[in-house]
Amino acid sequence: MRILVVEDDPLLGDGICAGLKLADYAVDWVQDGEGARLALLDHSYDACILDLGLPGCDGLAVLRDLRARGQNTPVMILTARDTSADKIAGLDNGADDYLTKPFDLPELLARLRALLRRASGAVKPTLSHGGVVLDPAAKRVTLHGEPVPISAREYALLFDLLRHPRQIRSRPQLEESLYAWGEEADSNTVEVYIYHLRKKFGADFIKTVRGLGYQLSEEA
Amino acid sequence: MGKLFRDRLPSLRLRLLWATGLVALLVWAPAGVLSYNKAQHEVEELMDGHLAQTARLLIALVRDNERHLGDLSARLAEMRGSGEEVYEPPLEFQIGRGDGTVLLRSPDAPSYPLLGEAGYIDIQHEGQSWRLLNLVAPDGNYRVQVAQSTELREQAALEVATQTILPIGVILPVLLLLIYLSIRRGLRPLEALAADVSSRSPENLSVLPARAVPREVLPLVTALNGLLVRLGDALDSERRFTADAAHELRTPLAAVKVQTQVALMSSDPSAQSHALSQVLAGVDRSGRLVAQLLRLARLDPLAIPPNLETVDLADLAEEAVAVVNDAGTADGHFLSVHAPEPAILIQGDRDLLAAALRNLVDNAVRHTPAGCAITVEVGVDDGHPRLSVRDNGPGVPESELPKLAERFFRGRAVRAEGSGLGLAIVRRIAELHGARLEAANVPGGGLMISLCWRESLPPSPSPGNSL
Repeated sequence: MRILVVEDDPLLGDGICAGLKLADYAVDWVQDGEGARLALLDHSYDACILDLGLPGCDGLAVLRDLRARGQNTPVMILTARDTSADKIAGLDNGADDYLTKPFDLPELLARLRALLRRASGAVKPTLSHGGVVLDPAAKRVTLHGEPVPISAREYALLFDLLRHPRQIRSRPQLEESLYAWGEEADSNTVEVYIYHLRKKFGADFIKTVRGLGYQLSEEA
Repeated sequence: MGKLFRDRLPSLRLRLLWATGLVALLVWAPAGVLSYNKAQHEVEELMDGHLAQTARLLIALVRDNERHLGDLSARLAEMRGSGEEVYEPPLEFQIGRGDGTVLLRSPDAPSYPLLGEAGYIDIQHEGQSWRLLNLVAPDGNYRVQVAQSTELREQAALEVATQTILPIGVILPVLLLLIYLSIRRGLRPLEALAADVSSRSPENLSVLPARAVPREVLPLVTALNGLLVRLGDALDSERRFTADAAHELRTPLAAVKVQTQVALMSSDPSAQSHALSQVLAGVDRSGRLVAQLLRLARLDPLAIPPNLETVDLADLAEEAVAVVNDAGTADGHFLSVHAPEPAILIQGDRDLLAAALRNLVDNAVRHTPAGCAITVEVGVDDGHPRLSVRDNGPGVPESELPKLAERFFRGRAVRAEGSGLGLAIVRRIAELHGARLEAANVPGGGLMISLCWRESLPPSPSPGNSL
């Protein structure tokens, strides 16, 4: 799960990134509007946390651009502007949520989970497939009701596959959700984590689509 | 409040009433006294005339009727007048021969010798004062003396005079009342204006309507409106500043909170200690911001620098560079001072000017890459002292130059490390010293920020200091 953080304040940006990493998200951080525009053009993010008062170009302009290009990346505005008018402008320009500073990190994480859930079209707060249940709030995975210990990377990979149950996920797509900038993936890491997941949830749980990528097996 | 009431001027209405009332009184009182005296005098003249006519009549009566004087005496005594009517003071008389023998006299007539000189005289007789008229018949055979009691005459004169000035006494209060009413009516627009002004509040500083105002009050209303506009502007900028300050404080507070929560949630000791060091940095930054806000708030109400002394600008420049070098914050920059001989001395607050210069040097260090040269320049332009900090860094976009010293302004390319208040504080210090803060890009690259004094340098007494 890869998140873009757009925040010009170094201390706050660092804190948000650290908090998101604690929740096992892959996080990219840019500090100005132009950087945000480029990052959103180049990569596909599962969500974007956007500050409004940015040097160079206002956060709202970044948001309008994003929506004008037809990208539906979930966007949460995180700003010190707390008037009703600001909130209305933010939401009407295409934001999916609006949180004002100072904020509560657990609340930010919960809102982000809700944002991702809605974006994937899910109804339940948990994701499940073939007896595997993933609870993003508790960061817990069970198989037929039994908890399964799982590493952060394995969790991120499983989360990505569960969010796109009927799609074939390519290796670059999966790598994007695993790694932020500067964390270069080894050429076969995705294969390694798929192997671990198959060991934990059964060899048939994830099938390989040759030449294209990976996909969850049809539910029995 | 009580003092205010004691010291305030009496009301305009009362003042006008006093003034017009006093003028009326000043004009009317002498007029009254004059009329009174005149009336009294005229009455006396009239009564003297009365005496003369009576005397002539008596002479005419006695000339051919000496034999019948006995009868006349009784008849005249009957007709003499009762003395009850104030306008008919009784006339006493004596009639005699040319030699002074009395032929006839009224019962109450003063027994004053008939042989006096002809004409009016005032006499005292038996404790009573009289006005007498002696008249001699043209042939000299008869003499007549007519007398009137002075007291009764004066009573009559008084009565007439009093009746003359009485209307003035009645009209004066009516006049004063009418004056009062017209003053009140005339001042009504002022009351409406007062109500209009008192309905203004910090929330409603709209200008006063100038239409329904007398011409004399128009300058006041115009001045008040000017004040209202300035007050509104000042209040707006104050509110904006407060809102901006709150906004600016929120970001470091949010950072402190989120870093604290990261430290609490994380189980990795190195991540925890990183988060805690970030908390510390956030608290430091909030502290700096608050300190800057306080400094600006303290500078704001000042009109002149708090401590005036003679400051050598070159000294100040050397000191600022030394402080930055000593503090180790020069960060790979090359700092130098460029000051001409002889020394440029100005009157100012040394501590404030040092703080301003330090701010400018710190700014230059922060906003230029390592290895840049930063020069503190002291100079004189057309006799006006100038203190500048020049760097050879990237400069600032022209469009941002005028906004640099605005509170909380940060340029496009600037990372949000500073409070955004540094240059605002420098500008305030410059204003206190009668100097302008000017920012310009240096041809060939770099930024120069200067404090330019508006006043000329006073001619120095030391020789060789001619400019």
